[in-house]
Amino acid sequence: MINAIGIWIAALLTLAIYSFLYKDNPFYKIAENIFVGVSAGYWAVVLWYDFAWPNLFEPFFTKGQWYNIFPIFIGLLMFAPLIPKISWMIRIPLTFTMGVAMAVSITQIVQGDIFPQLQATFLPLKGIPVFNVISNILIIGGVIFTLTYFYFSKEHKGALGIGAKIGIWFMMISFGASFGYTIMARVSLFIGRIYFLLHNWLGVI
Amino acid sequence: MKIFDHLAHLDRRIIFLLVALAVIIPMVAPLNLPVDITKPVKNVYNKVESLPPGSIVLISTDYDPGSEAELYPATEAFIEHCFRKDLKIYMMGLWPAGSELGNIALNKIAQSYNKRYGEDYINVGYRPGGAVMLLSLGRNFSDVIKVDYQGTPIDSLPLGRRVKSAKDLSMVMTFSAGDPGILHWILYFHARYGVTICGATTAIMAPQQYPYLSSGQLTGLLGGLKGAAEYETLVDRKGRGLRGMDSQSIVHLLLVGFIVLGNVILLYQRRKK
Repeated sequence: MINAIGIWIAALLTLAIYSFLYKDNPFYKIAENIFVGVSAGYWAVVLWYDFAWPNLFEPFFTKGQWYNIFPIFIGLLMFAPLIPKISWMIRIPLTFTMGVAMAVSITQIVQGDIFPQLQATFLPLKGIPVFNVISNILIIGGVIFTLTYFYFSKEHKGALGIGAKIGIWFMMISFGASFGYTIMARVSLFIGRIYFLLHNWLGVI
Repeated sequence: MKIFDHLAHLDRRIIFLLVALAVIIPMVAPLNLPVDITKPVKNVYNKVESLPPGSIVLISTDYDPGSEAELYPATEAFIEHCFRKDLKIYMMGLWPAGSELGNIALNKIAQSYNKRYGEDYINVGYRPGGAVMLLSLGRNFSDVIKVDYQGTPIDSLPLGRRVKSAKDLSMVMTFSAGDPGILHWILYFHARYGVTICGATTAIMAPQQYPYLSSGQLTGLLGGLKGAAEYETLVDRKGRGLRGMDSQSIVHLLLVGFIVLGNVILLYQRRKK
């Protein structure tokens, strides 16, 4: 019974959202506001019960991890701008957050992203089938010409200008592929909703 | 020509209606159009096929209901393949709702294969913390995971006891809709611990993953609903992916038609001026 009520609510909200395609209307606005409210409420609960409470407050209150007072204090400083006199103190948690993020990501991005990607560009052009030679030339050329476009220390004239223009073509093809995939994704989401309406709600398929 | 002038001012709601019909009609009356299998999808399939029975596969459901339409069919198909090959599934999620969605698929398919919770599969639920959490997880699972999604101590479950670090995993399969997601698994699990990473992503994210496929950092990829349909074809499972592909193909044809028509009208109007 509860499941059926849930399906009906979801179906009616889906129709309310899609009604915007006809024109703006109160049903759409109601569904939109419910969505925003539920999302905010959901995230507040998740952040508290899955993040803040088990990792920070529970060890502090129940397991006697007194040193958790430091992250709690630094976290509270995020609200410092609400009190103009101490608003400058927000720099402490922000600096801390930035520092940790950098420390965690820089090494790994160099080791796991930049070097392997650079290595993957050094491709063989001899001793492999013709199709692979063409493919490798396209990858190597694509990388070099695209980087040429982003070289701004010299005016894009002569050979540099030609290279930059070829780079634009590579980027346009890349953007085109991304755009095609984006359309496919949007259509897939619509298919998902229609499947829900026809299968779960109406039961016709 | 009058028809071009008329089409140039066509009410966009008619286009919406046509797209809706192009989705609904093939869904009600399936055309069963063929689905080609691409290499990245075949690679995921081959990787699973190559694993000996009893190997542990970590499935990370890093998505939410917003991308459920694209990633849930792939989740079901992949879980079915793993259980068919008698692999052990260790499920977790970097997104809170993803963990729940993964659980629905896991429990549903585990029942049909008579798999036992704790021995053949477990779900440790949502794990917050992104990069920092993954770094700790790969080194020592017990630093991060002490209980499963129901609060059962992880050491009381046979499968939970088997996974101590990233080295105990045969592969990671991430169903990823953004950040944290597939890139984090590549950066923090493949680069550091050398674990094989396969992924299923939303179609929007798929083109960004191709450089990682080329470099070998990503072994295989299911891109969007199409990837799910391909995987369903490989594992011989008629699911939502394959069902949706008829609609997908018809809508794409319709959109290509609209683009061509729009350009013809544009050229006609320019010539007229």
